[in-house]
Amino acid sequence: MELATFGAIMSFAIEMEQRALGFFHEAATREGLGVRFGEMANRARKRLARAERARREGVAEMILESIEGLRSEDFEIDLSPGADESQLLEQAATLAETASRFYHQAASKVPIKEVSRLLGRMAREWEQQLSDLQQMSP
Amino acid sequence: MTIKALQNYIDGEWVDSKSSRWLDVHNPATDEVIARVPLSSADEVHAAVKAAKDAFQDWRETTPFTRSRYLFRMKNAMEERFEELAQAIVLEHGKILDEARGEVRRGIENVEVAAGVPSLMMGYNMEDVSHGIDEECVYQPAGVFCCVAPFNFPNMVPLWFLPYAIACGNTYIVKPSERCPISQNLLFEILDEIDMPPGVVNLVNGDKEAVDALLEHPDVKGLSFVGSTPVGRYLYAKAAEHGKRAQCQAGAKNCLVVMPDADLKATVASMMTSAFGTAGQRCLAGALVVAVGEVYEPLKDALVESAKRIRVGYGMDETVQMGPVISKEALQKIIGYIEKGLEEGATLLLDGRGIEVEGYPNGYFLGPTIFTDVTPEMTIAREEIFGPVLGIIHVRDFDEALEVIHSSPYGNAASIFTSSGKWGREFKYRVEAGNIGINIGIAAPIASFPFSGMKDSFFGDLHGQGRDAIEFFTERKVVITRWF
Repeated sequence: MELATFGAIMSFAIEMEQRALGFFHEAATREGLGVRFGEMANRARKRLARAERARREGVAEMILESIEGLRSEDFEIDLSPGADESQLLEQAATLAETASRFYHQAASKVPIKEVSRLLGRMAREWEQQLSDLQQMSP
Repeated sequence: MTIKALQNYIDGEWVDSKSSRWLDVHNPATDEVIARVPLSSADEVHAAVKAAKDAFQDWRETTPFTRSRYLFRMKNAMEERFEELAQAIVLEHGKILDEARGEVRRGIENVEVAAGVPSLMMGYNMEDVSHGIDEECVYQPAGVFCCVAPFNFPNMVPLWFLPYAIACGNTYIVKPSERCPISQNLLFEILDEIDMPPGVVNLVNGDKEAVDALLEHPDVKGLSFVGSTPVGRYLYAKAAEHGKRAQCQAGAKNCLVVMPDADLKATVASMMTSAFGTAGQRCLAGALVVAVGEVYEPLKDALVESAKRIRVGYGMDETVQMGPVISKEALQKIIGYIEKGLEEGATLLLDGRGIEVEGYPNGYFLGPTIFTDVTPEMTIAREEIFGPVLGIIHVRDFDEALEVIHSSPYGNAASIFTSSGKWGREFKYRVEAGNIGINIGIAAPIASFPFSGMKDSFFGDLHGQGRDAIEFFTERKVVITRWF
């Protein structure tokens, strides 16, 4: 699906954060991952609220110009919180890599500076999360 | 599906209309009937005016800070129901979700500005205007005001007026568009939720009968209107006849001038939104591109290429970039203009007629349409089409571009695309239009500025939004004092 409008991009971000929240929340119930995945769920909750606020507040009628070059298929993720610990870490890392890539690209496309900055910040947060995950061993 | 029969909101209560005249409200993307709206009688209007008049004294004595707090509550409630408000617009009007969200945001911004009433409504004074004499000017509310709203921004337009009117201590009646009444219905649910005192805000659904009853009522102080030029002119005259103040924002035929030095890519992107956003049903829509000199050929090709890529469909689908027009009749009327354009010798570069949208065979869809070889005398260059039809006029130079703009009776908006500060300044200085864009396709003033307009695009002196709204909704009382 082409993400050609501001709303489509933000709704995709919201959906991604919702899925991340669900994934971390469920995975946090597993012994050994609880605290860290719980923290990641909290971060996803914050990002979700931010994305919803940006969709609500960032849209300005005078700059609804169409956006090109973003497709949802390029950011598909497969999450199954029922997997074993090492697979969960792998999925979390893939999610973080995909999300940061999405946010970086979206930040460069969205023509609203405030929202673009916010998306950039979210990309960096996911990058940090990826680096944290890489230091965790099952 | 149960079809909701809409109610009026009078004196703090939802009331069934007793009218025998009702209209169906359609979803323009599907043609389904989604609600029924009563065309209220003069008696029902009189009940709303009485409620507003009865509420006025208490409300004007309510402190500006308290009135402002109601607006903060209104803003918060609108934020909480933001998506619902946006989706209601898509449902009844057809515009895409992004545009609907933008509309709700613009509406909220007006509530935010009006909430500053404790500062905005302050008067001014001067000591010693003569020996021992002081003079002050006090802003006071004037009474009962009303607005008659259009279909194209069913949520936002009443918010150019209502928040300011009630912030200033007036009471208010909204007559929403009978084609898109659901958004105001939702907004009044919010006003009810935040516990506005009964009678301060009232909603009366209806058509000309209701509007005439409002204008003929001796207790109505003034009217705000947004709609077409013939109706605006009629209402302005009628308001004057009945001794009321009025601000009537009317029709438009906005030109987008492109200079040879314009950044073509950015210009074309901006024009897509301007001409085809909200399916061209905006009073700020760019309707004519005035291409200056050698920019004509590359601009024409780029516009067509870009417009071809616009995805037309149901506004609820976030991948869609343009929705349907408001009604079957509007669709037929716009198609009539396209045929007229062909008859009068314009060249159709992109034909949006007959577009098929998968899954929505009954929608009132029309694809982006572009004409070239348009001359200022043609019907499609003179009349407001209010649809996704863009005409291109080729001119030799800047002065000729201004002549094209000035040959129109309208003066709502005009834009120039250029990388030259000189041309930008010259345009701003000379062009006869109220809302000017320099490298902006839709010159939409934010809430703290007046939504301007001149010539046949505006009847009145004070506009909606910002300081103009405060002036419109108040009386200035001058007090001269001497103490012996």
